[in-house]
This record gives sequence, structure tokens and C-alpha cells, in this order.
Amino acid sequence: MRKYIPRILHIIMSSLILGIVSCTPQSCFEDTTSFVNATFYKAGSNTATIADSITVFGIGKESYKLYNKALKVSVIQLPLDASSETCGFVMKINNLTDTLKLTYSSYPHLISKECGVAFFFTLESYSISGTAVDTILFRNKNITTFHEENIRIFY
Amino acid sequence: MRRTYVYFISLLFLIISIPHQVNAQDTLLIPLKIKVGLEVTGPVIYMIEKNNLSVEGFISADLNEKAAVILGGGFLDYKYSQYNYEYLNKGIFMRAGMDFNLLKPEKSKGRYWAGVGLRYGLSRFSSEYPTFRTDSSSYWGTVSSSIAQKTDWAHFLEITPGVRTELFRNFTMGWTISLRMLLYTGTGKDMKPISIPGFGTGTKRVSGGISYFFVWNIPYKKIKVITKKEVPVVQEETKTTVGQQGAGIRQ
Repeated sequence: MRKYIPRILHIIMSSLILGIVSCTPQSCFEDTTSFVNATFYKAGSNTATIADSITVFGIGKESYKLYNKALKVSVIQLPLDASSETCGFVMKINNLTDTLKLTYSSYPHLISKECGVAFFFTLESYSISGTAVDTILFRNKNITTFHEENIRIFY
Repeated sequence: MRRTYVYFISLLFLIISIPHQVNAQDTLLIPLKIKVGLEVTGPVIYMIEKNNLSVEGFISADLNEKAAVILGGGFLDYKYSQYNYEYLNKGIFMRAGMDFNLLKPEKSKGRYWAGVGLRYGLSRFSSEYPTFRTDSSSYWGTVSSSIAQKTDWAHFLEITPGVRTELFRNFTMGWTISLRMLLYTGTGKDMKPISIPGFGTGTKRVSGGISYFFVWNIPYKKIKVITKKEVPVVQEETKTTVGQQGAGIRQ
């Protein structure tokens, strides 16, 4: 029987078997947490800037700081609370303190078979109070694990 | 002048006789069959693991010694769980298409098959997540939730190279490699199905697999297949024509 099989068919089948076997992942290597990716801009201009020092923590989570006097930061990542439709952050930029509150909706997203389900979000509105931040601009309202720029903080 | 007449008449005979100077053709009787196949690995794995049940079969009819139409179908009851979620999927599927035998008739003899199949697949399934929870290291804490059962359709294309050989009279066994491309699934981009009956892993656009089939063959007709076509013989001389004509007659 073997001699009757065209050689090219044999090669194709062997390659497919190897391909199927070798491409089966078993562990989760992907990001499973969605973040609001916020960049810093100079107020009144369209120039990206770097915060000399920044401290960020969630309201009610003073003991668990996301950034603690981090130096020369250009992008911060803010996690959203999937059990709520709003959450807030205290931001201390160059020793000036502001409070940012975000309102959003959440929906489940399958990352992969290996990683399971994560929550993605859609930003709806924001409020800011304090002295450092001038304005906030939504660039991309879809909060995912894809590391896209979501908001710009002008200060 | 007489020589000229002889030459002319000889040439005339030669021209008249050329269309009749051919080698006879070879023919072979090939049985056309209706085939009923059952995939064996799915039930065997289920008996061992007692987890996911996959049952699949097909019926096909030979159109000629090369091509057959095929209609297949099956059922999948799929369960998967790991540390952060549980997933259930149950559904049926069907595939329709053609099989092409790449072996020459004198090699296949109606008993061997080495070729490729092309299919269009349709799957209807219900899936749900009874529980899932977010990353335990999440800043705001772990959130547990569930997603209710939802029924969807999926469409896909399949190419299946493979081989089959006759084990004993009218029973063949063989394997096929399946390479499938997902055309559409109604689940949307966020909750892609982890498994689609008849397709495989639904989180990717392309999936593959290997199937082993037992096939019952029911011959319903025999056809005469020409394995060697008539070949016109061009003669240079009348004398050699006679010799070749004799060699062309098959016993």
C-alpha cells in the first residue's frame, strides 16, 4: 500500500501531523488583566511629557499603591474594578494631588483556552478634582489587555 | 511511369490505412461503492477518559473511480475545567463535500484510497460558563461570575488528505488529517467558543485533527475504466505498419 501513496502526499501529511502536535500550547502566557493606559501631556499643548514623580493608589486602598513615588513616568496603568461600574484613583503628580473617578461598563472576554475569561471595559465618563491635572482626553474607550493608549492626562 | 503508379498507389493505401493503425486500449472493471464510515477514536477516548464524547460518521457514494460525494455528521459533548473557569459545550454538526482518489485505477483496484477530501461544515452548539473568576492577583480582588447557556451556529471549510486500505472484503480502515478554516461563528469576538462540534478549537481561525475510520463498503455498480488509451501509431513504411498492428493486439 505504501508504495502506492504519492510521495508528495506523504510529505504533506507528515508535515501536518508535526504542525498539529507542535502547535498545541498548554500554559497561559497572555495578559489577563485589563488596564487603562494613561499617558501624560503638557497642558495647553499636544506634547507628551514625563512626570518627575508619581504616586497612584485606588480610593480606599491607600496601603496598596500602584505607583509609589515612581520617577520619570510617561505611562501609567490603572486597573478597573469588575465588581463595580465606577472606581477612583488618587494621583500625586510632582507632589500635587488629584482624584480621578472613572465610570464604565464591563463585559467578559475569553483570552484563550489556557488563560480563561477576563473582563474588558468600555469607558463612559470621568471626573477629576485637584490642582495638578488640567483635563483628561479619552483616546480609546475600549479597555482591553492589548496595551493601547486609552486616556491622555494634561497637567 | 509504372514505378510512379506503384508508388502513388502505395502512398494511397498508406494514407487510407493510418486511421486504423492503433494500439488497443486496456480496461479494468472497478466497483463503485456506497461507503458507511464510523470514526473510532472519539468513542475510544471517551471510554478511557469518561470526559468528552465525540461521535462521528459519514456516508458516501462513488460517482466514478476518482470522485465520491460524501455527507457526514456527528455529535460532541465537551466539558473543560481548570483553576479559573468551567466550560460546557454540546452540539451537532454535518459536513458535505467530495472525496478524490489520487491513485490510478490499476493501483487502487477499488480497494485502496489515497487522496483528498473537500468539505463544507455546519455546526450548531450550545455553550456556557457555569463559573469563572478573574485573576487572584487583581488589584481590586477576585471577581467570580458565570455566563448563561447560548446557542450558536458555525460554518467552516475542511480539507482532508488521507489513506484507506481494505482490511477484508468490503471493509476498509484508514486515517485522515483534517485541516479546517472557520468561516463564521455567531458568538462574536469576545466569547469565542473554546470548542466547536466538528471543527475543534474555536478560539482560532484554523484547526486540525486526525481521524481514524472503519468503513463498510457496499458495491452497487461496476464500471469499465480505461487504464491505457488507444495510441495512434504513425508508420513510416507499409511493411513496419503490419508488424506494429500485430503487436498491438492484446490477448
